[in-house]
Amino acid sequence: MPYDRRTFLQRSGMGLGALGLAGILGEAGLTPSAASAASFGSQPTRQHYAGKAKRVIHFFLNGGPSQVDTFDHKPMLAKYAGQPIPETLATERKTGAAFPSPFKFRPYGQSGIEVSDIFSRIGEHVDDIAVINSMFAHLPNHEPSLMLMNCGDSVQPRPSVGSWVLYGMGSENQNLPGFIALCPGGYPIKDAENWQAGFLPGAYQGTYVDTQFEEVERLIENIRSPHATTAMQRRQLDLLGQLNAEHRASRSDPRLDARIESFELAFRMQMAATDAFDLEREPQHIRAMYGEGVHARQTLIARRLLERGVRYVQLWHGASQPWDHHSALEGGHRDLARQIDQPVAALLTDLKQRGMFDDTLVIFGGEFGRTPTVELSADGNSLLGRDHNQYGFSVWLAGGGVRGGTVHGATDDFGFKAVDQPTSVHDLHATILHLLGFDHERLTYRYAGRDFRLTDVHGKAIGNILA
Amino acid sequence: MPTDLSQPLGKKYSLLRRRSLLMWSASILSVCFFLSNGDGTSAADRNDKPSAAELEFFEKEVRPLLAANCGECHGADEQWAGLRLDSRASLLGGGESGAAIVPGDPEKSLLIAAVRQTGDLQMPPDGKLDDKQIAALERWVAMGAPWPAGDGLAEDERAAAQRRHWAFQPITQPALPEVSDGGWCRTPVDRFIFAALDARGLKPSTPADRRTLVRRVSYDLTGLPPTPGEVEAFVQDEDPEAYAKLVERLLSSPHYGEHWARHWLDVARYSDTKGYVYAREERVFVHAAAYRDWVVRAFNEDLAYDRFLLLQIAADQAAPDDPASLAAMGFLTLGRHFLGVNVDIVDDRIDVVARGTLGLTVACARCHDHKYDPIPTADYYSLFGVFQNSAERLVPLPTPKLDDEMSVEYDKELQSRKTKLIEGMASAREDAAKRVRERLAEYLTAQLEIGKYPEEAFNQVYSKADMIPKFVHHWAAYLRRAGRANDPVFVPWSRFAALSAEEFAARTSQMASEIATAGDEVHPLVRAAFTEPPASMREVAERYAKLFLEIEQQWQELVKNAPADTKPERLPDPAAEALRQVLYAVGSPCVVPDEEIVSNEQFFDTDTINSIWKLQGDVERWLNESPDAATHTVALLDRATLNEPRILRRGNPAAKGDEVPRQFLKALSPAERQPFQQGSGRLELARAIIAPDNPLTARVWANRVWAYHFGAGLVKTPSDFGLRAEAPSHPELLDWLAQQLLTRGWSTKNLHREIVLSAAYQQASTAPAGDEVHAATAAAARLADPENRLLWRMNPRRLSFEEWRDTILSSSGELDLAIGGRAKELFPAHDKNVRRTLYGLVDRQFLNPAMRVFDFANPDLHIPQRSETTVSQQALFAMNHPFVAEQARALVTVVEAEAAGDPVKLAARLYRAAFQREPSESERQAAIDFLAATAADAPSGPPAETLAWSYGYGEVLAAEGRVTFEPLPHFSGAAWQGGAQWPDAALGWAQLTADGGHAGNDLQHAAVRRWRAPRGGQFRIKSTAQHEVAAGDGIRCWIVSSRQGVLQTQTLQEATMLLEVDSVALEAGDTIDFVVDFNADLNSDQYLWKATIEEIEAPANDATAGANASEVAAATWNSVRDFANKSPEYLDPWHQLAQVLLLSNELMFVD
Repeated sequence: MPYDRRTFLQRSGMGLGALGLAGILGEAGLTPSAASAASFGSQPTRQHYAGKAKRVIHFFLNGGPSQVDTFDHKPMLAKYAGQPIPETLATERKTGAAFPSPFKFRPYGQSGIEVSDIFSRIGEHVDDIAVINSMFAHLPNHEPSLMLMNCGDSVQPRPSVGSWVLYGMGSENQNLPGFIALCPGGYPIKDAENWQAGFLPGAYQGTYVDTQFEEVERLIENIRSPHATTAMQRRQLDLLGQLNAEHRASRSDPRLDARIESFELAFRMQMAATDAFDLEREPQHIRAMYGEGVHARQTLIARRLLERGVRYVQLWHGASQPWDHHSALEGGHRDLARQIDQPVAALLTDLKQRGMFDDTLVIFGGEFGRTPTVELSADGNSLLGRDHNQYGFSVWLAGGGVRGGTVHGATDDFGFKAVDQPTSVHDLHATILHLLGFDHERLTYRYAGRDFRLTDVHGKAIGNILA
Repeated sequence: MPTDLSQPLGKKYSLLRRRSLLMWSASILSVCFFLSNGDGTSAADRNDKPSAAELEFFEKEVRPLLAANCGECHGADEQWAGLRLDSRASLLGGGESGAAIVPGDPEKSLLIAAVRQTGDLQMPPDGKLDDKQIAALERWVAMGAPWPAGDGLAEDERAAAQRRHWAFQPITQPALPEVSDGGWCRTPVDRFIFAALDARGLKPSTPADRRTLVRRVSYDLTGLPPTPGEVEAFVQDEDPEAYAKLVERLLSSPHYGEHWARHWLDVARYSDTKGYVYAREERVFVHAAAYRDWVVRAFNEDLAYDRFLLLQIAADQAAPDDPASLAAMGFLTLGRHFLGVNVDIVDDRIDVVARGTLGLTVACARCHDHKYDPIPTADYYSLFGVFQNSAERLVPLPTPKLDDEMSVEYDKELQSRKTKLIEGMASAREDAAKRVRERLAEYLTAQLEIGKYPEEAFNQVYSKADMIPKFVHHWAAYLRRAGRANDPVFVPWSRFAALSAEEFAARTSQMASEIATAGDEVHPLVRAAFTEPPASMREVAERYAKLFLEIEQQWQELVKNAPADTKPERLPDPAAEALRQVLYAVGSPCVVPDEEIVSNEQFFDTDTINSIWKLQGDVERWLNESPDAATHTVALLDRATLNEPRILRRGNPAAKGDEVPRQFLKALSPAERQPFQQGSGRLELARAIIAPDNPLTARVWANRVWAYHFGAGLVKTPSDFGLRAEAPSHPELLDWLAQQLLTRGWSTKNLHREIVLSAAYQQASTAPAGDEVHAATAAAARLADPENRLLWRMNPRRLSFEEWRDTILSSSGELDLAIGGRAKELFPAHDKNVRRTLYGLVDRQFLNPAMRVFDFANPDLHIPQRSETTVSQQALFAMNHPFVAEQARALVTVVEAEAAGDPVKLAARLYRAAFQREPSESERQAAIDFLAATAADAPSGPPAETLAWSYGYGEVLAAEGRVTFEPLPHFSGAAWQGGAQWPDAALGWAQLTADGGHAGNDLQHAAVRRWRAPRGGQFRIKSTAQHEVAAGDGIRCWIVSSRQGVLQTQTLQEATMLLEVDSVALEAGDTIDFVVDFNADLNSDQYLWKATIEEIEAPANDATAGANASEVAAATWNSVRDFANKSPEYLDPWHQLAQVLLLSNELMFVD
């Protein structure tokens, strides 16, 4: 039965024997033979058009950074300080009066977009950034909102954005996982669900790396042998190759070749991973530009990974939900912003000087925003913090295909709810896929009788932030 | 939307205004619907013969307009308000609000009113069509809405295609094809296979050799390799029945059930843990092992497949006398907990049942009618009603009672925890009900603005002072039932509620007089309350509230004045008592259902929820710690009060649509479909699934079994038999196999026999080496049928992760073949797990990465077929994970004894253990060459960097610039310390781990990590020390050189500090000590301290060149990386050889 290339690829990963396998191997770069290597190799396999971005780095400020303290300046809050605002929307907990931002905002760059002082270094790059100030999610709770932002559905197990992208584009470096999630100190809430492959094959799942560690063997599973030297392994693999070749001689099954090749790849991966995670190999001035601390380190690691062809890197702020400042927001936000402001700004500079900025998509944001009103304790006192807010929040994009120096949409006068050009998480996802060369309605995977897509039945790419 | 034409517009509209944005378009269309009188089909339908000009007009002016402006929301992909505008039939059929056009009458057509936007009606929502476009539509409707013939029949054609679809036809009794096969066929199965091959001019392959066959069938039936002895015995066995006997032996092996249970567990999305739960809840299921072991037993006992399904869906009702079978219900209750979102839990249950048993993707109909299969949304909600009316219940399983002291103590504690839970729940329910009764007026008036109260309330934190949305909805459901049943207490409520705000004033007097004269139809006290006409619905609510409050006061009075030892049971006045029942009876809208916290938590405030979950967690944790495996299960039981399911439009719980009965799927029911009669209907659902005339269940199971044997099903999509699924490769064979199930007592083992005894199954997967005739036949077949759908050969297969791990353990002789019991971490860090992989912990939230990379079934989802990927992470695991290395060592140990020092023999034994065969001459030679080469350069013992470190205790003699040093004697696997117990009786708390350690009890027992310079030179020291806790007085850190004395010293408390030495000159044998002592107070003196020592200049190469070159190159020592343990690190040459065999394709693939 003849198959065209499209059918062939659609069948990949369906567990249907050799044919399906070849597709997977193709995208994972583990091609069974030279012939198919030519057809599948590292070529993007499912894109619908040439995307401007080729790779993604996503800073995930988990916990819910406050829009009115970062990128959505609302002077009205100062006018209403301590007074109730006209309409307070229901969120997870009770909130009271308007709570003006404790931070100063000022315009940056040619575009004059206002940014809070706590992100002053990022502010210096604002002409390269498109701020979406009209994001909204569905529920004021971390768990469903994390799932929505990462996987496009609040509750159902669905593949994450990174898994979809890897499924759509493959990886350019076969010696490293194609989708890596960096998070220092443990998992964010919802754990590995945030980078799950869902119904896609497990190979598309994000690989979790705990960047609190520095030794490569604690960063990547099984990357070092505790029981053999490199020389010993080489000799073992030579013998293995010999046995496998003999076994292969009387059989015709491309899976056999694929598995033979996978051992050679693994052998090389041990070196490649060590290299990618070893910041000692960066010159001092680069390290200094990113600064001190775990965020500087993981951002620089991320850049090294992207440089080596890793498709999707997600950097989490930390275990659990660090940005979740229900109380004492001023100090909390200031401290966390200080940890990432310099590394993120350094990354933008660094990508530019390496010529990678124009084809790297940078995403920056959390799972939702925070209320412009102050959170109250059980007995009705101000906690000097803000509750979760799904009605309106900010996310920014920069790099590949993004029109810098733009602001898309707006919240109301107080920053509570997106009112101008409300942008759903599905819209954001459609935009991300668009920038990478996908029509979000056509990047699909057949599961349980349906052609599923990242955006379910929603989403529209945001036209006016595209370059 | 119910279409009550007697209701005037205003009321309808005001109700609609409250609906969510989502329903906006539906609301608008409903309004329009009333305007147009709703009569969509009465006007003359003049589409019989549209003229060419009319059609041209349609194609040029109308079709593109509809597609461009309406298609996105009302096309093939989306049908807002259930409306499609891409065929004439669907325009006429309309959406939830009725027809969109009245052919010939634009003024009565919804569509036209909508696009004119002159009224409340505004379509499209984001703008207005221009006048020319509107005029075109008007003209087209006026023409009678011409549409090309055939185009508009899509709906009918689809229905016809659905009716014709093969999977919905009764299972036939196919005759065996007549074949002239030269004696190839052995069984009926072969007749079908041969006939299909023959029809394409293809020939089957040669029979597999016996060695291949025994390996194949052993894996297929038990998931385990045959032992070398079993292979030899079979190869030598000349009995013509040898193969049949082998099959019988394997089928009666207890490991058969284990292997096939695992297949079913993929279907059942089995996990030992609940998935993400809030921290308040115990995350490990108490009953997963009970379910898994029940499935194993069911296969081993060849439980009839129909009974197998019946018990999994409705054991509570199908086998009330056999409590052990309740374990089967784990099938339903082991799904994810979806953050407690009930509609998703129910959805998961519908999906696992529908795809698992029927091969139907019913869950596709959650938001809209199934796009391909005959499954309307209403059917989805009929099944939804079944599971919505079933609640989880923790129930004990019959387990042998032990009288030993431990068991008695265990039971006592369990009882005490259960009692606390029961009491906690009882008082929480009582308090919650009390709060509702106290605020009845608010709960009743809340009914008038119910849209304000979220349906699934998990997204907000509620205090005891808050209205609880669940109770508002509980009341709504109660009032709805009461209304339908004409409950005399609520007749006035229902009547008044049916009035719109506008008509209230006009009708209220009439209503009041009707009520006054209604007699027994209205409860007398209620009747009395409504003698005066109320002014608004709010007043109706308030009058009810007042009446109930009086009743409540009477009752409290009665309770208060009752003698101390008696409890009043009822109010003396029967009329008053009837009203009291509304507040107190089972099923009262004030009462939290008597269920477990998992199902009734939404009735409580947040603090109460947390406190009950804690009590529930205490019970579950205790059960999970029980010395026995699972002693309890979680069953589903029908709810005490049943709620009729309602369609949730677009799956949105806030957009409730029509009620539907609980009933089976339309496509699989007789024309006169009867709603389920008993309780939730779960038992009837199960019976409908297993009914012999259900065309799907037997086919689906026969196909699954076939697929697990052949690597692909006759139907390629084992869980989708719908219209989009490819037709079976051998339809008659599928029916014949299904008939075997139906006529042979649903015996799965019988089905295995029919399959594995066939010649088709016993074919070779590859042409015999050197056999050119067969190679040519195979080449031709490969061209004609590259996917091998016709089975001209056997499909070779790769071992699953479980099979591979079990095989490694089996080869090394370490495999523990015990059956059943609690799950255990597969690769524990400081322990060994040598049980079958089936018993490895399946943690859906933290799935073992090895399982993930080896394509293990994602336990979040029903998995009909596993993916099969080949990625380098698999190879990394095989090469580097200690498990494989340990097994390689174990394998060598076992065969070493047999080989008696003869290396040729030893190599042969390794081959036999791994592959159940002798090595070829070239393989033998390769092994010997490998051993020789490896032995020559194998380093012995740990790497040089590791040897540079030692771990001890001592005292800093600062004045003398030295440290006393005694080695710590015991290594725990993770730490050096005084003894197996820590703290040690003699050496106290002193301890060193990879990352840090713990200071000793006094200054003489400081923890000392010592590094010894292997050669002289300049060295740089970098280190980060961290003390994390505020308690105590912190620690003192020292870096001391044996040559220069104290290099650094710092006191550290709840702080992180860099301790660095830029350059220090050392001679070979000098030491650097990293010492931590307690600061004076022995309190919280644990610490983290990582250090690296770098050689600033590499030593001259010539001095140590040669064999030790690799040592010279290493110029960095890292305290964490180099942390030594006692085990000799490197595999010796034999171990390495054994590992290579365990990694080989020959072991991983089955021909």
